[in-house]
Amino acid sequence: MKFFALFAFVLASLQTYWALASPPPFNPSDLNTDANAFPSTGTDSRTTMEMTMEQASRMVSSTTEKERVSAAKLLGKYAVRASSLLLIEALDDPSPLVRRAAIVSLVEHYNAGQLIYEPALVERIFAKIADPDVEIRREVTALIPRLVPGLLQSGMEKFEINGRTVFRSRPGSLRPDLFELAQRGFMDPDSIVRQNLLRHHFSLRLQIHPQTMVLLLGDKDPRVLLVALDQVRMYASSPGVLDQIMKIAKHRDSGVRSKVCQTARNLARSFPGFREVLRSMLDDSNPGISSQCAVELARLGERLTDADIEKISRYLLACNGLDGIAEKVYRGLSSLGQDAIEVYRSLTAHSSGRMRSVAWESYLMQTNGWEKPSFWIPALEDRDVKVRESVLNTIRGRTGALEEKELNALISSQYPEVRALAAESLLKADENLVEEAYINLLIDEDGLVRATTLRALAARRISGWLKVHARSLLDSNYAIQRAALDGLLGDPKVGVPALLDFVRAYPAARISSLARQELVRLGYRP
Amino acid sequence: MIRFFCLTFFAIGCLPVFGESASVIPSFGGSSIRVMQFRKASSSRIRYPDALPSLLELMNEQSRASFDPDPMMIDTFLDERLFENPILYLNCDELPDFDFSEEENNALRRYLELGGFLYLDAGIKASFLGADLGHSYAAWEERIEVRQWFEVLFPERIFTPLPRNHEIFRTFFRGLPDNDYLKLEEEQKRLPDTVLTFVEQEKWPQATYSFVGLKINDRLVCVASPICAMGWGRDEFGAWIPPISFRIRESAEDFDETLKLASFSGETYEVTREDGLKDVIYSMKGNRPLWVREPTGRWRIFKYYSGEEISDYAHSFYARLGMNVFLYALLN
Repeated sequence: MKFFALFAFVLASLQTYWALASPPPFNPSDLNTDANAFPSTGTDSRTTMEMTMEQASRMVSSTTEKERVSAAKLLGKYAVRASSLLLIEALDDPSPLVRRAAIVSLVEHYNAGQLIYEPALVERIFAKIADPDVEIRREVTALIPRLVPGLLQSGMEKFEINGRTVFRSRPGSLRPDLFELAQRGFMDPDSIVRQNLLRHHFSLRLQIHPQTMVLLLGDKDPRVLLVALDQVRMYASSPGVLDQIMKIAKHRDSGVRSKVCQTARNLARSFPGFREVLRSMLDDSNPGISSQCAVELARLGERLTDADIEKISRYLLACNGLDGIAEKVYRGLSSLGQDAIEVYRSLTAHSSGRMRSVAWESYLMQTNGWEKPSFWIPALEDRDVKVRESVLNTIRGRTGALEEKELNALISSQYPEVRALAAESLLKADENLVEEAYINLLIDEDGLVRATTLRALAARRISGWLKVHARSLLDSNYAIQRAALDGLLGDPKVGVPALLDFVRAYPAARISSLARQELVRLGYRP
Repeated sequence: MIRFFCLTFFAIGCLPVFGESASVIPSFGGSSIRVMQFRKASSSRIRYPDALPSLLELMNEQSRASFDPDPMMIDTFLDERLFENPILYLNCDELPDFDFSEEENNALRRYLELGGFLYLDAGIKASFLGADLGHSYAAWEERIEVRQWFEVLFPERIFTPLPRNHEIFRTFFRGLPDNDYLKLEEEQKRLPDTVLTFVEQEKWPQATYSFVGLKINDRLVCVASPICAMGWGRDEFGAWIPPISFRIRESAEDFDETLKLASFSGETYEVTREDGLKDVIYSMKGNRPLWVREPTGRWRIFKYYSGEEISDYAHSFYARLGMNVFLYALLN
């Protein structure tokens, strides 16, 4: 039962397919006449969709070329099936102008969601990859991804042989004649066509002959080369491919050489012969590319010579900033292990703020530099706030106790975030040193520095802290009042009584309301 | 302000050695010129993030100017670094709104008066484009939000269209990209015939575009253009990203009659042309605009072309135009 149902379905589908193999003449009833989908006109003087289409269908078969061009252009604006069928017919027009207009309009249909799935129709479009007009070949090859679903449909086909009906399966691959056209297309005189076909050949389930691939890897147009290098993995072990890539490793276009470097890096993991390509590029005239190859080799586990490391360092120092190849090279430095430290150190003097910022980060991380203030204190004098912030984020919470000289260097900094770090450092500094240093920080012009100092004093219980905190409750800066409040609340023995005295003495002070709430929460009656 | 003068002097110093085949690695080892990019902290739309860094890199490759390819991002005009750098770039499509505090407007006004230059990319945007950010259209007036913002900044000044012979269009590159620049063989078609004709004669004649500008003390301090950044991005191998397609006006034998009567259900929009007259754009919701009625009574259809050659050409044009704008800003 199931078998018969399936057979009936296949027959029904085949009838449809048969009918589509040759597009019928235009019939207005093909149009979707749903009034909502195609309201008739914007103004009263305009014709209906049906009338417009009918006129266009007459014009597209006119004897006048100009009329046919006009109709082909207009039909692009009506993305409906009937219109697509007329345009497919027009692709066989003897005039290239009509064919151009038709293919551009068909692309408009595809863009508007009017897709064509019937293999016979799609094959007629695809066959235009051999059109004598280059503009049409370009359009069709660019359209390949949209044609593929219809082009590579597998299914059943019905034939009549000597009056006998024969069914046979239709494979999901290109028809043999179209396959031949596509293979020839790889050698099309126009580089855009070659590029398009090459880019989409996997989706067409085509395999390029290795010799053709070698020829494409020697293409005159750098854009074709870039695409070929993108697609070469399938052919990496084919004869001649490695040799050809070795040749284009010396290409005049630096973008191509950079792509060769990337391709060789990717292939070298599976095909060790490609490491030789990277080695051959270590002397590339472009220092960016030679540096890129060097770090790729390091990533593959090869040890670099001092000269190569020096070259990388020089290249990065000469860059205007961290972008493109420079960023790739920089990110690859970690593969150099300990050898990278000196490179990072030299980059901390780079003219680009972003480069200095990442270089300081890497340098401090690789050397545990946060333990050595002499390493990072110079970074905090950097003119770029992003660099200073990056260094502060790296060392914050990791530094040890500072010496007097180091603490004074931070306190005398012109940058408030650095002085705030000095205040944070009071948490770990020698007590005598804190007693000497905190006054300078308490009179700092920046509120954050003063608030941080208060918190450090409270944590360390430095002599006189209670008095300082009690006074600070009347500071005009709310952050400082809050820091003083927190400090006093943290000491039930002397801090809380002092706070109780304060709220009783200054019930209307700005901080008093909050202080009362905090005291109640702790079980005190303010 | 001293820094402005230094940078201008520096840029002028490097002009004589400008040339399309200039050295790949800039010879300036010292500090590079930093271009600022404004993006509000609340902005959730980042448009073409690779664009400006790519363009700056390209300028370093093709001229001997030395730009830091990493733009300095600022999110308020009160940023103290504003006055240390002469060029500010702003993509209007990235702004969630054009609301700025009085202090910010004062700072920007002062910046422009003291020698700064503001490039408002996507500062022109035809109304029919709506929220579709992937389009540009050569309208000849600033977008309404920009106009309202500048009425607050400079109440006595208005944007005016830049003439086709303005120096900004030929500061460094002149003319449209040829086959040599596009790295095409001499006999190879760089564009389909109809597209090339339209581009050369109407879309970008002599490599110009629809720019409007605002002058203070006879100095051009701000320009607004349709979105150009979409044409600046390149990947690390020098290939352009993302793809760009062209909207071309095409005519045919009987379009004046046919398009007047052809079935249409949608909206019409008026867009200002270079000559101040209005085009009427016919557009259906969810579709690209269909056709246009020009003030002469002529009807033309919009056709859309895409493909590698179209995209490469458009990118090359936008990048050359962008370079011209930034180098003009440095020199003036």
